[in-house]
Amino acid sequence: MADILINVIIAFLAGSLLLGLHRKIMARVQKRPGPPIIQHLLHSLKFFFKETAFPKTVSKPFYIGIVFILAAVWIVGVIVGPVTKNSLLILFGVYAIYKIVEHNSGSSSGSPYGKLSCVRAVLSAATELPLFAVIVLVYLKTNTMNIGGIISYQSVNGSLAVSIPLAALMFFLLLLTKSPYSPFAITKDKALVSGFETEHFGFLRGFIMFAESISWYVMLWIFLTIFFGHLSVVGYIIGMIVITFITSFINSVTPILNPNHSVMSQITIGAVCFVGTLIMIFI
Amino acid sequence: MDFVTLGGNLLGTISLGDIVLYVTPFSLFLFVVLLIFTLLIAISKTETQVEATFNKLGNTNVKVGLKEFKQRRFLSVICGIASAGAMITGDLFNFTLFMALIGILNIGIVSAVKQTSVLNSAYQYGLIAMMCSLPLFGGASIILASTGTLCLAILSQMHANPMVIFGAVLMLLGVIGESGVAPFFASKAEMFRTPGSPFIVIIHLSSLFIIVRAVEIFLLILW
Repeated sequence: MADILINVIIAFLAGSLLLGLHRKIMARVQKRPGPPIIQHLLHSLKFFFKETAFPKTVSKPFYIGIVFILAAVWIVGVIVGPVTKNSLLILFGVYAIYKIVEHNSGSSSGSPYGKLSCVRAVLSAATELPLFAVIVLVYLKTNTMNIGGIISYQSVNGSLAVSIPLAALMFFLLLLTKSPYSPFAITKDKALVSGFETEHFGFLRGFIMFAESISWYVMLWIFLTIFFGHLSVVGYIIGMIVITFITSFINSVTPILNPNHSVMSQITIGAVCFVGTLIMIFI
Repeated sequence: MDFVTLGGNLLGTISLGDIVLYVTPFSLFLFVVLLIFTLLIAISKTETQVEATFNKLGNTNVKVGLKEFKQRRFLSVICGIASAGAMITGDLFNFTLFMALIGILNIGIVSAVKQTSVLNSAYQYGLIAMMCSLPLFGGASIILASTGTLCLAILSQMHANPMVIFGAVLMLLGVIGESGVAPFFASKAEMFRTPGSPFIVIIHLSSLFIIVRAVEIFLLILW
């Protein structure tokens, strides 16, 4: 229990600081000073103490419950990943629920911005395909879904990033999609204000930001672990900072794609990488 | 391939003749999440959807009527229970039955809506779902004919012969069509424009979770 609590706190703090760093780098690339790196963490904590109001139009149990579900599923993500190193399939399920939260927090508010974000969340389920493909490819290569087993495989046979680089590229595409201000972030397009988060404020937004920080940490941890094996603490820190730097650089110089282009780009890149990796594994 | 390698440690089995239900952290997680969502659906009221009005400065509030609300809530709760059943079942035929039921219920949930675009979308999705029920059940039948069983516990220990692979491919086609995921989601997305947030969420949730479970089942059968 203490192990879970410590890991959740580490995930929240590290995720918040990495997202703060992400925002800082984006600002510096765009020749702005940007907020301090700690700003995302301060924002998350601040929202827990702000006054909360519920719009008249909301579907209440879902409007409130969905943010708790979001926080809970990413805590499950921490338990399945860094704590117990369990099955990758459960993490696939966790990510699927994240898509549902995007969908429902948008639609349950009654806001037209949230609603459009909800419809786009259905379209953006295309991001599930690269994740699904990566999990299958890793399984074909290592014969296990267990993260502990994948680490053991790499300690004997070397890093998966070297043997199946296109699968690593596909997973990186998923990280890029999840990162703030991504060219694929069609559910949070600024034309939709804040998309599915538009009508969530006060402690509800605090929970959303808490979950987003944990999710960023968990996704980076999974990527580094399943493609580079077990790293030291310093290795994880350096890896997470490098990936955050790369995604922030890409996001700061790339405009957001329209929904159709976003979905087709993801499916095309996913399909090419999937077929390429299959050829590398079997030939 | 065995359950443990895919879904984590085996927490228990429930043997019902040749149908063996099994519980792993993976299946338990999906099952519990679906029951939580089903409970939330059962107790939730719908939102009031605010829409812009043409040629006027005001907004239009779109609400779900009481009769429509009751119909859609009933179908959504059944859909949640069917999806939870599909997550925990250890029998291939039960999985296909749950899948077909989910497809029918998804159409039912939006068919009570009085919006032409939404009904058109539901109609197109219905056509795809109907067509895909043939490969769905056909695939399961071929697997039964070539192995003599539909029990996942036994199938997972068998070597996949070419007919099993053919059956699995047909089933995959059926699952994709019945759940309305890519490349069919283009028509299905329109269904989500209707108000009734607690009901439309189960359409999306059941589709995604069915795919997650289908991945496990196909890996069990084929490797």
